[in-house]
Amino acid sequence: MSTSASATRARRATPATILHYWVAITVVAGMAFPLVWMLYSSLKTNQEIALTPLALPAAFRWQHYVEAWQLGNLGRLYLNSLLVTGVSVTALVMIASLAAYAFARLRFRGRDALFYLLLIGLLLPAQVVIIPLFFLLRDMGLLNTYWALILPYTSWPLALTIYLLRSYYLTLERELEDAARIDGAGLFQTYVFVMFPLVRPALATVVILNLVNLWNELLFALLFIQDEQLRTLPAGLLAFSGYYIVDYRLVFAALSITTVPILVVYFLFQRQVIAGLTTGALD
Amino acid sequence: MDSSSRAATHRGRGGITRSRAARLEELQKYLFILPALALFATFVLLPLGSALYFSFTTWDGLRTPEWVGTRNYARAFADTIHVRSYVNVGVYILGTLVVEVAFGLLMAVLLASDRLGFAFMRGLFFSPMVLSMVAAGILWKYVYDYRTGLLNEALRAGGLGDFAHPWLSDPGTAMAGVIVVSGWKYAGFFMIIFLAALRRIPTSLYEAAMLDGATALQRLWHVTLPLLRETTIIAVLLCVTGGFAAFDLFFTMTNGGPFNATEIPTTWIVKQAFDRHNMGYGAALTVIMTVVVGVVSLAYLLATRRRHAVEY
Repeated sequence: MSTSASATRARRATPATILHYWVAITVVAGMAFPLVWMLYSSLKTNQEIALTPLALPAAFRWQHYVEAWQLGNLGRLYLNSLLVTGVSVTALVMIASLAAYAFARLRFRGRDALFYLLLIGLLLPAQVVIIPLFFLLRDMGLLNTYWALILPYTSWPLALTIYLLRSYYLTLERELEDAARIDGAGLFQTYVFVMFPLVRPALATVVILNLVNLWNELLFALLFIQDEQLRTLPAGLLAFSGYYIVDYRLVFAALSITTVPILVVYFLFQRQVIAGLTTGALD
Repeated sequence: MDSSSRAATHRGRGGITRSRAARLEELQKYLFILPALALFATFVLLPLGSALYFSFTTWDGLRTPEWVGTRNYARAFADTIHVRSYVNVGVYILGTLVVEVAFGLLMAVLLASDRLGFAFMRGLFFSPMVLSMVAAGILWKYVYDYRTGLLNEALRAGGLGDFAHPWLSDPGTAMAGVIVVSGWKYAGFFMIIFLAALRRIPTSLYEAAMLDGATALQRLWHVTLPLLRETTIIAVLLCVTGGFAAFDLFFTMTNGGPFNATEIPTTWIVKQAFDRHNMGYGAALTVIMTVVVGVVSLAYLLATRRRHAVEY
């Protein structure tokens, strides 16, 4: 790689530098363009989109956003997604951290066997259980309730989350923990007041990882919730795009409404989000 | 019992009261893992076991399942669409290895610069990762649209109108269309993984290579790539296992069509189970998929490890 070597020469615009910029900008702009196209198409009329797909809008028709928001019941979808992912991620991380601490630091009979059992979950794609899971939830009377998503969403990422948090707990110094124990703190006190606060950096990472994955989850959401009022964003957006498939402006507006806020949050917390989404692959 | 033996050692040191406290604490330890294990057992292990059971039955989801032995498995191997779904997913995985892993590596090399604007370009390149597959799939369906799509319109504007094509409704190009969207979505992920690996390579190696008169391309080939081996192994594994688990993009864009040209195991399983109510057959297909994914990952890891051992 010539980067570090040429850092000293960065001020001068050599032909190589210009070529480097030109190639990089072309590729990245090309990749980003579909999103830009989506944004400005959402402000055009259907006729404009059909006749001149590439042209910029003649006027900014923001009312498409109001229409899509109301017709697609997008407020409700957002609320459902916030609720389901919020509850799932909170429960998941609490439960996973507790278990990860035990697997990392406590000694008890059967610990390693149970940990390996849990690791099975790392290898399995969730698709392999959709059929029995559907009937399990049906028999529990939970289909078409938020629980039909919250329970699987809390359970399925446990293996990876515990695995990641456990490796972080293993890196922590033992001294604080030992000091708390000598001072007479019980196991739970030691965990809650000493260890849990220390694991916060790793917690942020796994929260982001699971937040993004669960926010975007489709398969469970599609199969376990049929009630339109309870749908999450991906399932609702898919239904909306099927229903208004030729009403381009509405689909583009709905797409923009559901993607732009996520992209804004991403660009605000870019470093943390990238760290969160690539964790596990990097260690 | 571990708890009692541990308590016994405590008794030796601290007497009866101490031993009761120790035994209590021994039990407390299990409370740490209890919630996780209970959820994992109920919503992961139990369904996994039932899938195995259902795979030996015929069941419509309403009446009681009827035991049919291995008939579902025999049917699976005779089901030409099912067999074809593995060919299709194989093509998809090979395609994504190029547009996600290889392209991601290329972009890592291209964008690994401290010059002004490169951090922003990396961020932009990664951004599709945070979007849902559904949003990506819907957007790209419009990009590929024959009449009003971005792609065909760009071709026409560039004087290449003859190449305008109904990408997703032609069985010959539909899979390629899905693969490209996969690359659009995930290349940024692999770029970051390779970027992290590139940053770990000591600059002294490059300086030594430059002193030896190696060109930029030679440095890339003889220094960078060999040192990215470990990362590449992980990246390929992630891409392959992720490929088998693909569903959202296919369901959103083509749902297996046209004429099963993009039918993959997961879309076929969902159709069998939830459209045709063949729960037993669907379960057998999931068991087959689990075995295939397991065997492929294991074989890959073993193969790469052995080559590794020969090399050093």
